[in-house]
Amino acid sequence: MSTVVPMGPFHPALEEPYKIEVTCDGERITDADISVGFNFRGVEWLAERKTYTQDLALLERICGICSNVHTMSFSRAVEQLAGIEVPERAQYIRVVVAETERLHSHLLWAGVAANLIGFETLFMTCFGLREQLMDVLEAISGNRVNYAMNRPGGVSRDIEDPRAVLAAVRNVREVVTRQLIPVFTADRTVRARCSGVGVLTRADALAFGAVGPLARASGVAQDIRRSHPYEAYDRLEFDVPVREEGDVFARIVVRALEIVESCRIIEQAVEAMPEGDIMGDPFMDDVPAGEACVRIEGPRGELLYYVVSDESVTPARVRVRTPTFANMPTAKAMVIGQSLSDLGLIQASIDPCYSCTDR
Amino acid sequence: MNPTTVDVPELLAPLGEPADVLRNAGGWWAVRPRLDVRAMAGLMRDHEVRLVTISARPAPDGGHILIYHWNVGSAVLNICTVIPEGGQAVTIADLLPAADWAEREIRDYYGLEFTGRTRTPTLMLREGDPAGLFSRTADVGRETDPAATARRAAEAEEGEAK
Repeated sequence: MSTVVPMGPFHPALEEPYKIEVTCDGERITDADISVGFNFRGVEWLAERKTYTQDLALLERICGICSNVHTMSFSRAVEQLAGIEVPERAQYIRVVVAETERLHSHLLWAGVAANLIGFETLFMTCFGLREQLMDVLEAISGNRVNYAMNRPGGVSRDIEDPRAVLAAVRNVREVVTRQLIPVFTADRTVRARCSGVGVLTRADALAFGAVGPLARASGVAQDIRRSHPYEAYDRLEFDVPVREEGDVFARIVVRALEIVESCRIIEQAVEAMPEGDIMGDPFMDDVPAGEACVRIEGPRGELLYYVVSDESVTPARVRVRTPTFANMPTAKAMVIGQSLSDLGLIQASIDPCYSCTDR
Repeated sequence: MNPTTVDVPELLAPLGEPADVLRNAGGWWAVRPRLDVRAMAGLMRDHEVRLVTISARPAPDGGHILIYHWNVGSAVLNICTVIPEGGQAVTIADLLPAADWAEREIRDYYGLEFTGRTRTPTLMLREGDPAGLFSRTADVGRETDPAATARRAAEAEEGEAK
């Protein structure tokens, strides 16, 4: 006899609302249905009624973790439409902020994952490191969550103390390499708990359109920073970790290794950052008619902005496809055949963000 | 798919309908008014081209424009087609599950139905909400004097209170 087990909208693995309803045969999951939209705010609708400048403040609030990537994508779309060049120093600053954001996002996830696996002290290590990065972001931008750094044509603030950024990032890299990577890549308990669990095959990853670390853990070697470099990424050296297994363990390893790569990128960017302006001419909501499509690699994967201008001061269309919007449907492919007790871990291994998804 | 060998016009050739294919900073753009979306989806699937998402927007003379965004090598390929007023789109969600949520969201926002789906539950809206939220509210919030709208809302609220 089949049993239907509804989980959510409020549930143990995550603090955001969504619902997954699984059909079980005994302990084994045979089907799954996902419901989202509990946080629907109509951000795209609102964005089409506000000026481009007002939209920066609105779009930054799509997400409380990866707020920076939204304004960066929107700014890049406007720059593409209006033919605006970004000063080189601003490109490097955008990279530093984006990678610091990726670090704090990955460390938040690593802490939650450690807690779910049973390494509760590692949770505190991850969040302690994350706090140092929040301090870096606050020192650069004045804010811990919505940094207001990006605007069409450049960035709003310079990095005034690059040495402090380097010191914090080097410390994070050292602790992550010494403590986090060995646990997440070689510990027997982590392997036993996560290997072979929640497998997403490469074929399913492609069919579902999975992105980011989730796709890279299934053998899809795509990272927009590498395949379609933007800002200063083509001048920086970094590796793109890819695993073939497609299970929870592979996702943990890929994200853990990405933390180290982000540290490498920030260190290079801070050291290579040229002197100069951080902002071009003032942006006056003057955008020629046309359409732009921009993708960048957010912490959870590829983020797409499609923006249409009809020459008015408000965009005619703003479409935001967030990484979790692409990734969450893959849960269906991952959980079928799995034990009900693994459902929470599998969901968390996607690193979902419902604030982004529901917009 | 090797990013260095992608020839987008050649990739699209089996779809038949001749089209201008342009490339700019936003990637490749192709406009195909009579696009066979299922043939396109099958072609892309065979070439391991990933569907990034589907966007929709109102067409200037009625109906809707659908943009299928594909990841082709290192670039994005945007294939645009037009659904005339009162027309229906065709689903590709059975061929590519990546399209499922995008099609459901387009129905939520613009009321556009995708034929061939067994069911189209709401995605962002609540069950039972009428489809086409963006279309139904197209004129809302576009007033030249938003303050006047706020005043009217406040007056209406005061009236209700009395």
